[in-house]
Amino acid sequence: MILKFNYVIMIILMMLGLWAMIAKKNIIKKLIGMAIFQTGIILFYISMGAKSGSNIPILDYYDRYKPIDAAQYANPLTQILMLTAIVVGVATLGLGLTLARKIYDDYKTFNEDEILQEIKNEHD
Amino acid sequence: MAINVLAVILFAIISQTIHHPTVQLILNILIMASLGLGLFFFFATSVGVLRFPDFFTRLHAAGKGDTLSTILILLACSLFSLKSAKTLDQTTILAAIKILLIINFIFIGSPTATHALIEAGYNSEIDPWENNATRN
Amino acid sequence: MLLGIETLLLILVLILAVVSLWIRDLMSSVVVFGAYSFLMCLIWTGMGAVDVAFTEAAVGAGVSTVFFVAVLFNTTRRIQFNPLDLSAKIFSAILCIGTGYLLMLGLSDLPSWGDPQALVNTNVSKYYIESAYKQTKVPNLVTAVLADYRAFDTMFETCVVFIAVLGIFMLLKKDGREPLKETSAKANDNLIIRVASRFMVPFIQLFGLYVVAHGHYSPGGGFQGGVILGASLILVAMAFNIEFVKQLLSIKRMLLLAVIGVIIFAGWGLVPVFLGQSFLDYSAWAALLPGTGEIMARSHSMLAVEIGVAITVMCGMYGIYMSLVSDGRFDKGL
Repeated sequence: MILKFNYVIMIILMMLGLWAMIAKKNIIKKLIGMAIFQTGIILFYISMGAKSGSNIPILDYYDRYKPIDAAQYANPLTQILMLTAIVVGVATLGLGLTLARKIYDDYKTFNEDEILQEIKNEHD
Repeated sequence: MAINVLAVILFAIISQTIHHPTVQLILNILIMASLGLGLFFFFATSVGVLRFPDFFTRLHAAGKGDTLSTILILLACSLFSLKSAKTLDQTTILAAIKILLIINFIFIGSPTATHALIEAGYNSEIDPWENNATRN
Repeated sequence: MLLGIETLLLILVLILAVVSLWIRDLMSSVVVFGAYSFLMCLIWTGMGAVDVAFTEAAVGAGVSTVFFVAVLFNTTRRIQFNPLDLSAKIFSAILCIGTGYLLMLGLSDLPSWGDPQALVNTNVSKYYIESAYKQTKVPNLVTAVLADYRAFDTMFETCVVFIAVLGIFMLLKKDGREPLKETSAKANDNLIIRVASRFMVPFIQLFGLYVVAHGHYSPGGGFQGGVILGASLILVAMAFNIEFVKQLLSIKRMLLLAVIGVIIFAGWGLVPVFLGQSFLDYSAWAALLPGTGEIMARSHSMLAVEIGVAITVMCGMYGIYMSLVSDGRFDKGL
């Protein structure tokens, strides 16, 4: 259990984000929950690629022409996947914020219950 | 700006005499002193942010202490990167100078950010704290 | 276990996540979320992922907090609390705890933390570490894999950023027939902030260009440099007013530049197809670039591709901020 502490934290963060996305009534809080869920997944990837006692994945000037031991450098592959995921994550977050803004323009509230109430009133 | 030039000249002198034991001792003392002072000011800042009564006094503590302690800790980092290098070459000195440039940036940016926060608080008409105990 | 401090930081991160969901004020919640991102960035530096930490510091802690603030400034920061809907919260909490328990059951199959011989660290990533420098002459392995080995992935990620900007722009765009408010276009009259930002912005942009160009040798690259360049434009828009920054980079030119960034990336990858190689195989560029072998052609092509990414990401961050803060009218800022 203690050797896999990072995965435990990852699962707790992901479930916290999922709970926020389901249970919170405020749309901005839901978006924060989505971002927390995303960082949980990034934590999963990065901590899987970490190696104890390893360097950052940039070759030192003196080590470039020596034979390279793969265990000395952190895994670059998981880092790439997550690097692009963060930038795309902020773009999708912007899209979510835009939709929240449009909803606020129409209903003057971020609260889910009030929005549903207003939609029901419009249909009646 | 003049301080920067002085610091770069100091670095050049240090890089010539780095392996002398007296220089090593002086560098060690400088690093420990600035790191310790920086940590002390950070502690004082966090105490101030927690204990001061209202918005303006809290930001006073945060703005001043934060800037000074960050500068001191970064200076310690810069000297440490000079001291701990096995062989002094261009890359080590360049790393130390880059940390100096970060100090410049924080020296300009952090007080401006504090000023902007205070201005926003003043414009939104937050009441400043008054010591009612002494008035009565 | 890598470092003792990382365990501490992970617990702190968990506390901040709970606090950011707990606070009943949206602005404070967003600020706490920014602190959460900074702590995450520290954790990733500890795990050896410096490029990811750089991106997180620029994007997660910097720009996304600004986006949240830009939306909250024009709407509301209040949360209505209704004590009656506690049953739904408890029900979803039970659901999440159940899912979490099921995930915990799968914990025993995962490799332990920091194991160099884990399956994820041995196959293709070992090949990348051992042969990336020989094949491309780029010491930063993250840049080498990002822009060369997995360039197809990166190209479509750039496209996703562009499509997101386009979507935001189209969702918020007003048709211009609405009357503009007279009082809205007010310049920021704070002298200290204007002078300080006028002093800082050139250095920020220089640093952004350095990050793009020096991505081969140090942490950085197109994504980080693009975000820094976009953040400098956002700083101008905040310190001055939005009219001033529109003179520097108008909205039409912003969209055009975003397209050009994607075209640089895709076009640079398309040229090898005409030279008889496969898509994004940069070694074919050796025939066109004078004085380069196949290895250096790959190294130079990465720089070109990173410039395309940087242009698109810069215009993306700038466009998202401008759309969000002015509700698609582009007439007033914070």
